[in-house]
Amino acid sequence: MAQDSLLSDELLRHLMAVGQVDILVGVPTLDNASTIGGVVRAVHQAFATYFPRDRAVLVNSDGGSRDGTPGLVKDYSLDEAGTVTVSHSLRTMHRISAPYHGLPGKGSALRQILTAADLVQARAVAVLDADVASVTPERVAALIRPVKDHQFDYVAPVYARHPLDGPLVTQLVRPLIRGAYGWQVREPLAAEFGCSGRFLSHCLEQDIWESDVAKYGIDLWVTGAALSAGFRCCEAPLGPRVTTAAHARLGFQDVFQQVVGAAFLVLEQHAPYWLPRQQSEPLALVGTPTSEAGEPPTVDASRLTQTFCSDLQNLQSVLEPILSANTLSRLNAIAEGDCGQLRYPDDLWVRTVWEFLAAFHRGVMRRDHITQALIPLYLGRTGSFLIQYAQAAPADVEAALEAVGLEFERSKPSLVECWNQASPR
Amino acid sequence: MNALPAAGASLPDPLWYKDAVIYQLHVKTFADSNGDGIGDFKGLTAKLDYLHDLGVTCLWLLPMYPSPFRDDGYDIADYCTIHPSYGTLDDFRAFLDGAHARGLRVVTELVLNHTSDQHAWFKQARSSRDNPRRDWYVWSESDDRYAGVRIIFLDTERSNWAWDPESKSYYWHRFFSHQPDLNYDNPAVRDEMWNVMKFWLELGVDGFRVDAVPYLIEREHTSCENLPETHEVIRFLRAKLNEHFTGRMLLAEANQPPELVRPYFGEGDEFHMAFHFPLMTRMFMALRLEDRKPLVEIVERTPEIPETCQWGIFLRNHDELTLEMVTDIEREYMYEEYARDPTSRINLGIRRRLAPLLDGDRRRIELMNGILMSMPGSPIIYYGDEIGMGDNIYLGDRNGVRTPMQWSGGWNAGFSSADPERLAQPLISNALYGYQAINVESQKRADHSLLNWMRRLIAVRTSSRVFSRGSTTFLKPANHRVLAYLRTLGAEQVLIVCNLSSSAQAVELDLGRLAGALPIEMFGKSLFPRIGELPYILTLGPYDFFWFKLRRL
Repeated sequence: MAQDSLLSDELLRHLMAVGQVDILVGVPTLDNASTIGGVVRAVHQAFATYFPRDRAVLVNSDGGSRDGTPGLVKDYSLDEAGTVTVSHSLRTMHRISAPYHGLPGKGSALRQILTAADLVQARAVAVLDADVASVTPERVAALIRPVKDHQFDYVAPVYARHPLDGPLVTQLVRPLIRGAYGWQVREPLAAEFGCSGRFLSHCLEQDIWESDVAKYGIDLWVTGAALSAGFRCCEAPLGPRVTTAAHARLGFQDVFQQVVGAAFLVLEQHAPYWLPRQQSEPLALVGTPTSEAGEPPTVDASRLTQTFCSDLQNLQSVLEPILSANTLSRLNAIAEGDCGQLRYPDDLWVRTVWEFLAAFHRGVMRRDHITQALIPLYLGRTGSFLIQYAQAAPADVEAALEAVGLEFERSKPSLVECWNQASPR
Repeated sequence: MNALPAAGASLPDPLWYKDAVIYQLHVKTFADSNGDGIGDFKGLTAKLDYLHDLGVTCLWLLPMYPSPFRDDGYDIADYCTIHPSYGTLDDFRAFLDGAHARGLRVVTELVLNHTSDQHAWFKQARSSRDNPRRDWYVWSESDDRYAGVRIIFLDTERSNWAWDPESKSYYWHRFFSHQPDLNYDNPAVRDEMWNVMKFWLELGVDGFRVDAVPYLIEREHTSCENLPETHEVIRFLRAKLNEHFTGRMLLAEANQPPELVRPYFGEGDEFHMAFHFPLMTRMFMALRLEDRKPLVEIVERTPEIPETCQWGIFLRNHDELTLEMVTDIEREYMYEEYARDPTSRINLGIRRRLAPLLDGDRRRIELMNGILMSMPGSPIIYYGDEIGMGDNIYLGDRNGVRTPMQWSGGWNAGFSSADPERLAQPLISNALYGYQAINVESQKRADHSLLNWMRRLIAVRTSSRVFSRGSTTFLKPANHRVLAYLRTLGAEQVLIVCNLSSSAQAVELDLGRLAGALPIEMFGKSLFPRIGELPYILTLGPYDFFWFKLRRL
């Protein structure tokens, strides 16, 4: 076998044996020994309970785990999943574990899974996050059913969580995607999704698999690809998302830079689609949302705002080429007040993000410096929001988040103007 | 020709049924000798050479007794004679002699559970509550005894009790209301049934297919199925059989999962054989799913049976393809895949013959027969399926699979010289399966006809006892579309590899423990590459199958 082959001979042999399938569930892994058993069990129970007549396969694409994850996938006893007594799959349930080749990272794992799905002509694919300890058969089914039963091409998850949870998503990525693409996707960064054979073929045809997007931002790219290429997209409620502590492999700064860098790259790639779009539409919701909202996060908001105030002073020279004079001046003004009671208004935050995006596009400096410079501003905005809504009812927080989304939509023309004037790096 | 010893003489192998290839037929629709439109024993006798030439070794006759025919003869009105339409007892004796002279065993029907309501016993029983026969049936003043017991013929019956206006009480019936159940708690009934058996055994019959076995006894707060007392009745009859005869066989019809059928073999002191109903259903399921799982699962779930016992395995028979003992999901799947037209559904099953079930696809018909003939058990072929006969789902009940045998493309398919309007059942005459297209005469003339292929298949099957008596080990290659198993008897081994899929398949078989063996394909005697330590790679076309004899040369 050539070392650079996308699929190893062994994986090909397995896929040949599996043949054409209706459903493929892919699970990228890296040192997930503590959770993989639960994921495999949930997948098999989903096959047996919800898709007993369908041809189905689980494909684990492993990034070189040293904790025995692939072995656990291969050796998992079906008897353990055999607690499903009433329902019962009519067919052989296949399970494959294979290491991926190519660039390290989630992108290569996903590419292998999608390539395998393409090869076995899977009609519906679900990609799961092996870090999630709360995978259930119902969650697996929720990602597959919209594709299989309602002919959707892409299914984004909706997690039941407190509206103050996940500020990187709620303050930045969600409203950014909404404002740009014109689609309301609650979890555009999610590592779990469902998709059709048609959509995965489209993904595989795109020239991104060797790029930084594939390495750091493949989840967001998949969302953007679905939104921007006219595929039928929907959302599916999955319930709460519980991850293991071992999940936190990277520090916050690295995560932030990877996410924001990838988001800006993806937006740049899909600019021809989103630049002319106005306002936004919600995605269809397929499934029944749960009422669970989760607990609010315990974050020291004042520490975030203090960081904002101190770093803003130090970053003036970096921010000047990125932000307009007006925006920078307003930021400086709010930092001069009581940082413990910082108020970072919606319109200023949206303007900040749009201007960072335009600067990224223009290439005013090294792109990683641009994303790095956004960190203290993001912390300030997050801290400000938490201070303002820490005691608010979840519905009020949701309303405030909706207002942020609307502000991104409302102010989009200024971004478009700025974008069109700029020449890319 | 391997003639059998005369009736009553000791037979060469008392376990003959373990190696049998059984042919199931209905005298009424097989061959009519006197032109009255109804098949008869003289007609059947004239066809014995055909059956011998086909290679089957045992004939199983559907009920041939006097009957009002409200359940195709399973409503017996007299156990100890032949229905006059089929001939006389002398005609039957001549048929029996002819069959034995050709080495063919004969198995007849024994309907233990119930009689027709036209049977003299029932007429007497209902005539008065004081009649000595009264207690030969199961009576009640109310219809709430044995509450909760399932109704088998859901399409026609609303209760297991029927009102008898004559004696003004209810009688118990597990099947049609015109088939009252006999009361096996009454020793006189057991004794009389043994007398019925003895009558036919003394004539030379080689065995009985015993109908509706699980339902002989009723007890409150039970399902009234498979009760210990039912086994007592069976053991009583078997002990009598052993006491008076050798080399005779009892075959149980118990439509139950294999683990519930297993007790009917007892410790070798109840039935010699029992049908394996779920295997049949799972074979059809596996074929449509293109996945060996259902089939492997049911064989592996099948318990061991005593050395002297054997399973009776089949693809189709005179009844519906039963879906009683499958899960709801499985039944829904089978209906959708094999019975889209609701007319083809009856009770909890599908009233179709083999060929129409498989869309007349010769490759699938061959594959299914290939699997049947290589599975553990004695295979049973339903008359007409060896030529791919069709059915008529628009006839009532299950009569659509009981139409006249198609011998030729001529008058009445060569079945009868009567006017077509007089025939016991109408002929199949559609363009696909009509007798002009599907018949014995034309298939005899074509070397590659289904009939001649079946002859070769049966010949290979009967060439070795490894198929009938060998152990079975599934190989389970990664490709689930490929069914592969080893049959082993002593030093003899046969490897069977079947492609359940409609597309070509490659398979890697782990045959390391057979390294050095030389596979010889059993139909064409072709040599295949010697088995080594590495996975043995085979490619199979759509629905292909191989039987390899493994030789150490």
